[in-house]
Amino acid sequence: MNRKLTTSIVLVAGLLLACWPASAHHGNAAYDEEHWITIAGTVTEFVWSNPHCQIYMDVKGDDGKVVSWSVESQSPGILRRNSWTRDSIKPGDQITVTLAAAKNGVPVGFSGNKNGKIVFADGHVLKMDLR
Amino acid sequence: MRRRQRCSAMVWTVALAAALAFSTAARAQAGQQQGVPKAAAAPAPKRDLSGVWQYQGTGGGGSTAEEKDMPPMTPWAQVRFDQEKPGYGTRGAPGGNDPILQCDPAGFPRVMFVPTPFEFVQTPTRVLQFFEREHEWRPIWTDGRPLPKDPDPTWYGYAIGRWEDDNTFVVESAGFNDKTWLGVTGYPHSDQMRVTERYHRVDHDTIVYDITVTDPVAYTKPIVTRNKIMKLKPNEEIEELPCVWSEENSFLKRIREPAAAKPVK
Repeated sequence: MNRKLTTSIVLVAGLLLACWPASAHHGNAAYDEEHWITIAGTVTEFVWSNPHCQIYMDVKGDDGKVVSWSVESQSPGILRRNSWTRDSIKPGDQITVTLAAAKNGVPVGFSGNKNGKIVFADGHVLKMDLR
Repeated sequence: MRRRQRCSAMVWTVALAAALAFSTAARAQAGQQQGVPKAAAAPAPKRDLSGVWQYQGTGGGGSTAEEKDMPPMTPWAQVRFDQEKPGYGTRGAPGGNDPILQCDPAGFPRVMFVPTPFEFVQTPTRVLQFFEREHEWRPIWTDGRPLPKDPDPTWYGYAIGRWEDDNTFVVESAGFNDKTWLGVTGYPHSDQMRVTERYHRVDHDTIVYDITVTDPVAYTKPIVTRNKIMKLKPNEEIEELPCVWSEENSFLKRIREPAAAKPVK
């Protein structure tokens, strides 16, 4: 590889990095994918359906009030590739979910990509990576 | 000039200089620039695409071409474009009217850019693409027949294929309806759309994919996308992924519609 080529590649890489924030992921428009948060609570329902599985859970806030959250996940096929089964999450499970919350402030979130995950009380983790 | 445009211009200027430095870059090297592992993969088998493949996209689903690379639209297409409300891209907004939200088929070529794999299956007369998305088969006829002259419109079109050389499979297709978008960012096409694809298997694990969409009813020039990468997934199986309207409808009501509602005051 000649020097001119190396220099060009380094320059391109540098410019791409410098420009990254302006051209970052646009994503599911309803969700704030710039800020991933975690919520912890008790599973009330797990829906294994196509094309989107869903997790419903109760989360107790600092003020003691319980808020019911709805979490969008991926298709059963994609979840199976990430070692899930239809029994991976059950009502009563204590879980912590990493998600992008709805921008409008309702307790709904998206967890279905490489940033999303479920951590169980015993420490085991389920991911939702697309590939 | 906006920051993004300025950056884009600078990147492309330097990238052009880099490209010129590659005076004799081979096609396989182009594949390596697109993310093929440095460790040499085994050579590609001859005239064989069998296996499960995954398009290496951005993770959130994709489109036939980046918005910045789309050619100018005709007035016919502009009317449809203005009615689209996609969930992704520069026009992305909560809610929207993406046809797949009501379980319309993704259709072709959009299905090529979804974040789930497809399998190539070869028979003596057809190369079949079996897409996980919708669990849908796309037959590509290889028995020498021509494209039908005036095919009826379908979601996935009518396709014929031939081997250009031992590692390059070329597919021509036509006979599409005009109900599908070209990707998650929207963009219409007409029922006069014709598509040419090249599947160039540069090594055992990698296809370099080119696609050209020609649709004079909708666009003033062809849409040209080159050097996209597909990777072989040797231990993968195609899972079932239908869009089930009763399940999708429940999902929309319980999750997507609340998430897309106007902010609570």
